Amino acid sequence: MSTGPGPASEPSVNKFEESILGHPFRVFLITAKYLAFTHLFMEYGFTVSASHGPSMLPTFEVLGEWVLVSRWHRFGRGVSVGDLIAYNIPINNDVGVKRVLGLPGDYVLVNSPETGSDVMIQVPRGHCWIVGDNLPASRDSRFFGAVPLALVRGKILARIRPYTEFSWIVNPLQRPDRD
Amino acid sequence: MATWGTTGRRLRFFGQFAHYLIRYATWLPPLICFNTYVAEVTFIQGPSMYPFLNAEYHESRRQDLCLVWKMYARENLARGMLVIFRNPDDPHKMTVKRVVALEGDKVRTRRPYPHDYINIPEGHVWVEGDGDKTKDSNYYGPISAQLITGRITHIVSPWKRAGRVRWWEHPERPGVQKAQVGWFST
Repeated sequence: MSTGPGPASEPSVNKFEESILGHPFRVFLITAKYLAFTHLFMEYGFTVSASHGPSMLPTFEVLGEWVLVSRWHRFGRGVSVGDLIAYNIPINNDVGVKRVLGLPGDYVLVNSPETGSDVMIQVPRGHCWIVGDNLPASRDSRFFGAVPLALVRGKILARIRPYTEFSWIVNPLQRPDRD
Repeated sequence: MATWGTTGRRLRFFGQFAHYLIRYATWLPPLICFNTYVAEVTFIQGPSMYPFLNAEYHESRRQDLCLVWKMYARENLARGMLVIFRNPDDPHKMTVKRVVALEGDKVRTRRPYPHDYINIPEGHVWVEGDGDKTKDSNYYGPISAQLITGRITHIVSPWKRAGRVRWWEHPERPGVQKAQVGWFST
């Protein structure tokens, strides 16, 4: 006669020896499940990644930067102009970090301001225009054009390493009535 | 007494039910990972690949069921392959098209495209549908190869056409000047 709910009424479920060590493949299967779960969390939740290169120089150092990326913002969901994003570089296999300058429908400068050219284009549907903070040393939308939002991996929330310099990334473009 | 017995049985049932639910739910992450990175079976919507896929789209509502191979989908792309990619106009839409030209090729474009010829830039491919009703690279330009998530390797569902997709037997599209050097040149 059972006394209550739960797996306690089932034989061979709560016994450690039988559930973990009883089957030769069980440890392997459980490990695979945990790995898959962790991977999904890093794919759809949050992840941490290293960033290097001089293109974001005032914001990020050339070496030794680690950032917290919110993968919830993948495909440009909830991203606004001024945010930092991680994205798949359209012309190679790498991942880059840049700042969003324009979202679909916005008008952006095609070239750097100091070149004197004032050509503007409208960012096409489903694309975004991204540039680095260090304009002379950045390869960004000025080089390969507007980036499809489908290549946006997520939004940078914070720089986390070195730990002593932890800081949240705030969008510098704030509405004046929101302070 | 009788009611207490019923409640106990019911509680036990729900306990077991929850137990099995959680036990099966632990298989969801491996399953999602398999579908994302190894292979997936999916329906094809729309007439853009007519007559190769959805050949009966004007006769019935039945859609082709295809096997999409996701592993190494972006490596060694070749002209003629059927690829699945995220639509550059809408990141939440997946699109099926045929790779027509690779990076470095020169393509004579078709109607809505504003220029007559285009050199496919680095890391990009030119994709087109087989049918007439297609919104492809002639509409949104060359797409980045990073958008590609899989290749269609087999047709599963209409039994008549089921089998391996022999993309290499598909006739070449006229008006593509192949790049002379590079990883992908044939």
